[in-house]
Amino acid sequence: MQMPSPDAKIMAKKAQVVQRLTEVLGARGVIHDPAETRAYECDALTAYRCPPLCVVLPATTEEVSAALRVCHEENVPVVPRGSGTSLAGGALPTADSVILGVSRMNRVLEIDTDDRIIRVQTGRTNLSVTGAVEELGFFYAPDPSSQLACAIAGNIAMNSGGAHCLKYGVTTNNLLGVTMVQMDGTVIEIGGAHMDAGGLDLLGVICGSEGQLGVVTEATLRILPKPEGALPVMMGYDSAEAAGACVADIIKAGVLPVAIEYMDRPCIRACEAFAKAGYPDCEALLIVEVEGSADEISYQLDTILKIARDHDPVEIRAAQDSDEAARIWLGRKSAFGAMGQINDYMCLDGTIPVSALPEVLKRIGELSDQYGLGVANVFHAGDGNMHPLILFDANKEGDLEKCEEMGADILRLCVEVGGCLTGEHGVGVEKRDLMSVQFAREDLEAQMKVKDVFDPKWLLNPAKVFPLDVSEGRRA
Amino acid sequence: MIRPASEAELAEAVRAAHGPISVRGGGTRGPLPAGEALTTSGLTGITLHDPAALTLVARAGTPVEEIEAALAEANQRLAFEPMDHRGLLGTTGTPTIGGVVAANVSGPRRMQVGAARDHLLGLRFVDGEGTIVKNGGRVMKNVTGYDLARLVAGSRGALGVITEVALKVLPGTETCANLVARGLDDAAAVRAMSAALGTPFEVSGAAHDPHAEGGPRTVLRIEGFAPSVAYRCKALAERLAPHGDWEIETDREAVLAEWRGIRDVAPFHGEQGDVWRVSVRPSQAADLVARAGAKRAFYDWGGGLIWLLTAEGDDLRAKLGRYDGHATLLRATPETHAKLHTLQPEPLALQALTRGLRETFDPRGILAA
Amino acid sequence: MQTNFTPAQLRDPKTAEANAILRSCVHCGFCTATCPTYQVLGDELDSPRGRIYLIKDMLENERIPDDKTVTHLDRCLGCLACMTTCPSGVHYGHLIDQARGYIEKNYERPPMDRFLRWVLSRILPYPGRFRLALLAARIGKPFKGLMPDKRLRAMLEMAPAKLPPVSRNDDPQVFPAKGERRMRVGLSIGCAQRALDTDINDSTIRLLTRLGCEVVIPEGVGCCGALTEHMGKHDEARGTAAKLIRSMASIEGLDAVVINTSGCGTTMKDYGHMFAGHELEAEATRIGGLCRDVTEVVAELGLPKLVKAEPVRVAYHAACSLQHGQKLKAGPKALLKQVGFEVLEPADSHLCCGSAGTYNLMQPEISAELRNRKVETLEVLKPQLIAAGNIGCMMQIGRGTDIPVVHSVQLLDWATGGPQPSAISEQFA
Ligand SMILES: Cc1cc2nc3c(=O)[nH]c(=O)nc-3n(C[C@H](O)[C@H](O)[C@H](O)COP(=O)(O)OP(=O)(O)OC[C@H]3O[C@@H](n4cnc5c(N)ncnc54)[C@H](O)[C@@H]3O)c2cc1C
Ligand code: SF4
Ligand code: SF4
Repeated sequence: MQMPSPDAKIMAKKAQVVQRLTEVLGARGVIHDPAETRAYECDALTAYRCPPLCVVLPATTEEVSAALRVCHEENVPVVPRGSGTSLAGGALPTADSVILGVSRMNRVLEIDTDDRIIRVQTGRTNLSVTGAVEELGFFYAPDPSSQLACAIAGNIAMNSGGAHCLKYGVTTNNLLGVTMVQMDGTVIEIGGAHMDAGGLDLLGVICGSEGQLGVVTEATLRILPKPEGALPVMMGYDSAEAAGACVADIIKAGVLPVAIEYMDRPCIRACEAFAKAGYPDCEALLIVEVEGSADEISYQLDTILKIARDHDPVEIRAAQDSDEAARIWLGRKSAFGAMGQINDYMCLDGTIPVSALPEVLKRIGELSDQYGLGVANVFHAGDGNMHPLILFDANKEGDLEKCEEMGADILRLCVEVGGCLTGEHGVGVEKRDLMSVQFAREDLEAQMKVKDVFDPKWLLNPAKVFPLDVSEGRRA
Repeated sequence: MIRPASEAELAEAVRAAHGPISVRGGGTRGPLPAGEALTTSGLTGITLHDPAALTLVARAGTPVEEIEAALAEANQRLAFEPMDHRGLLGTTGTPTIGGVVAANVSGPRRMQVGAARDHLLGLRFVDGEGTIVKNGGRVMKNVTGYDLARLVAGSRGALGVITEVALKVLPGTETCANLVARGLDDAAAVRAMSAALGTPFEVSGAAHDPHAEGGPRTVLRIEGFAPSVAYRCKALAERLAPHGDWEIETDREAVLAEWRGIRDVAPFHGEQGDVWRVSVRPSQAADLVARAGAKRAFYDWGGGLIWLLTAEGDDLRAKLGRYDGHATLLRATPETHAKLHTLQPEPLALQALTRGLRETFDPRGILAA
Repeated sequence: MQTNFTPAQLRDPKTAEANAILRSCVHCGFCTATCPTYQVLGDELDSPRGRIYLIKDMLENERIPDDKTVTHLDRCLGCLACMTTCPSGVHYGHLIDQARGYIEKNYERPPMDRFLRWVLSRILPYPGRFRLALLAARIGKPFKGLMPDKRLRAMLEMAPAKLPPVSRNDDPQVFPAKGERRMRVGLSIGCAQRALDTDINDSTIRLLTRLGCEVVIPEGVGCCGALTEHMGKHDEARGTAAKLIRSMASIEGLDAVVINTSGCGTTMKDYGHMFAGHELEAEATRIGGLCRDVTEVVAELGLPKLVKAEPVRVAYHAACSLQHGQKLKAGPKALLKQVGFEVLEPADSHLCCGSAGTYNLMQPEISAELRNRKVETLEVLKPQLIAAGNIGCMMQIGRGTDIPVVHSVQLLDWATGGPQPSAISEQFA
């Protein structure tokens, strides 16, 4: 993976940029000592790293605007950052860029259960949004596995999804409005506590634009009443094919659970070690969750279990109480982290049509043999969003490159069967150079035109999403 | 009228155009902008329906009816139940799926499952320069690149001509029922609907007609499998007791018919006057209606959507003043449309972005919308 | 994640250990969400993930620590919430202790800093000296405005208004079990706690003997070494710890070492690690393995099920050293419930109250902010009492609220026949 070489002019005027930023943010808001900027050199994708010119941590929308105005005037690129949990290198800096972190902006601004909305500053973490409305009987639906730590800012930028998105949709389906600061410092309000845009759906294109169109500082989010009850059921199978077929049959049958998650043996073991959830030790585990009152749950389960049994499960077990249910989910949501105890890994995020699951799992297995790198699978099976974790040794020369190649092959496979490169983690730098596999030049051109309008100087997160040769003429 | 038979032909026609072109699907959503007519009705056919993946791909000119019929065979549906505008606007023609997406049409289930945009997995379109662009895909989750699909959906042809759409479909519902309260005033009705939507009972429709036959009628829809519908109706009626007396109606055909009527704003059919569609923060809805001084009002989306029938040429936006939301003029004479604007004028900064986007996708300004 | 130690560096067992810890961190950032200092300061550098990065950089490059790095590492409470959260099992505790040792060796602190740390390490672990210092501080309190350093002011502030007389129960002796002897335990009577509050040990002894424990206070028992260990003064720590280990090891037929100051418990249970490669390793591992928090022993012995006629509302504050350091979260609450208290848990119960050993003295501002947050979440529960399993938390929370704060063990003692804790005598007279 290549990043453009830093602009010498900017590097040379670091002191001036820092001084101007300090004038508008105060010393507490600007971090520029190389000993300190290093901690901001990457997000959760640690394979790529580069310390930024400096880091700013504004506390208000006005401060964000003032900081951006300075950078705009100085022609310094800006990389917005939420919690730095991106797995795509979305928040990876370049040496000539300013990291603008919204972590200090984490207040709840408004809660209205009649209108079923919450308005927050975007540095607030996903889970703490639910935390703020839980006592009132509501929750914020998109639940990325990283929800404990990731910020609404990053969720909006990446249009993040989660296990329960099968029923509740992803971020874009639950986002009603934003306050966004454009690169030149202009503050705009889009949407609000009402639904749909009166004109162009700008919110729709801002969500998922990976921090390239503006810095989102506030968001109005839809909150939903908590279901009466929910029950995760674990179904163990002795082959990936059987589990995959079971998923397809459940969906075809017309009962749509809220979540269908998949884990294979290596993941099951790693997660069990952390969460002690009592996962069966099997080749392929499905976690299927249904919601409703006790009767509704058992009615839906009857149908689902009938289908599940047709595929020869090795074990079927429902959570016995809420504590066990919580552990089942804790384990699943900790899967990536837990795998870290075992190995370095690269996490992919391609989505495929659910019907292609068995075939794709088989071919991933073949690629794994071919490259000699192990693969662990954990993913959102209900919507075909795969997360193969390619296991490699970061301290071994050449292993990362091999892993990158294998990852590219898997993603090409996803596109080939009708899927896409990334279902929820975003393109960032990680999948940037593969964009041409999925899109023709005109398709990318059309996307870049949007950036031209929002950020004519291409200063916001400039080296991401679009292959460098494709964006060449536009970047400063 | 230009009637391309393929996407390539359509692109060619746009490239060849010199003056404004007026794009239409089934032409059910008049008034159509001036310019040479171009219809997508030659681009038809479902190209993919994968029930196990809950996906359907169709060319833009495919009639909605055809899609609904094909889905019904697999016990699936378009969950956002797109409105049929013909009755309200007095138009003829056949609604097409491309038109539905281009106008981001939705129905009463909007507040539960979303609008057309929320079910859109991807699309193909031809921009103002005649370039064919693909965005999104056919899978359920996709964040690969910018979400142009959503930007183009709802743009009413201003950024390009949609040629193909991929949609997420959902399983059909087994049973449905209504909970009905009579005689609530608007504010009480909105409060009751908000309370209902704040329960875990998955209310999939909440509408209020202040002028219904026999007095104001507030109606809540519950759908799902039979035992669950029965349970939720009962639980909801109990929970809503402080908001009125609720009757449960279970006649499937009647329930379906009533919601078709709500979806298509049946109470306004054949009535004289301008029709406005106001998207609003529900808690402000009743006040807004009071301020509107309209001939008739009708609430959907639990108060999040208000339909207003006003005297012809009435400047509703001026009467409403400031609120959270926007008003679209849906039915009026061409003069009124021109005078009052069809769409709510945006703040300056947003106008600049809208203009910029239109100019970049349609530099010649030929896509009249 | 990737590390860059040379093979030569990795031959040092300490470095090898740091490498293994760093390798298991996937940089997922989950830990930032539960880190109290990140909550307050919002800077990655004041989060576990940032600190791990700073430590990595420092150790890999054998860099002389710079002021900024030291500042961010000093701000760490050592509460170990990050370890509870980390799905990847990163042993942050061992890593930060190593970093502190490294800083202590390689960094020249400003004179005032050095002075304060020297004073603390010379006074706190020695109950006699500490008691004198507290008495002196009481005299100095009115003059605190004259103190040149906010940390000195914080120290004066900390001195409680009342000091208990020295308790003779803390002298070496054996307290026989009431009734049949079911266990023989050594009691670690703590150092600072003894000077501040003698009731806790008294209640512990009453409770344990009542439940059939013979409680031994061995000759020479003193500071466990935790305090100096967390200051990076590893040699000093090992010195005091060795004394404690030997003193406990001298008890014949020892079934458990009981600890009622949970901050000490975390360190003592880990003695095996502290003495790794040291001649005392085997003994340290054995004694470490026998260490139990007092609530663990009580749970093992079993409590009678009692229901108070009118249950007292108790807000339970989980000390970090219990819930994160020793992973004892549900146990203490269950015991309190079992004897009839109505136990309430505050929001964000995973967050530290800001006491954290000497943290409240060295970082008064962050500490005060954390105390305020903690007190707020406790007070909304409208409890009649607040219970905690660690003297540090008790003092810290007590300074922010009028609601009486007691040790869990005092409540257990009270409920099973002991006297009512003096801190609440007015309220429940
Ligand atoms: C263990 C683990 C599990 C994960 N599981 C999931 C999952 O289940 N589903 C999922 O979707 N993702 C998942 N992710 C990925 C990641 O958590 C999401 O992409 C998340 O939304 C990133 O949020 P963040 O606040 O950390 O953003 P960051 O990583 O800080 O930034 C992400 C992107 O957002 C941009 N950005 C940040 N702030 C702003 C702003 N204020 N305005 C505009 N742009 C901004 C950045 O420039 C960057 O491009 C997981 C990550 C980890 C480490
Ligand atoms: S939670 Fe664990 S693995 Fe993740 S960043 Fe923190 S220490 Fe590293
Ligand atoms: S020990 Fe506590 S303060 Fe220190 S990094 Fe971990 S969570 Fe933060």
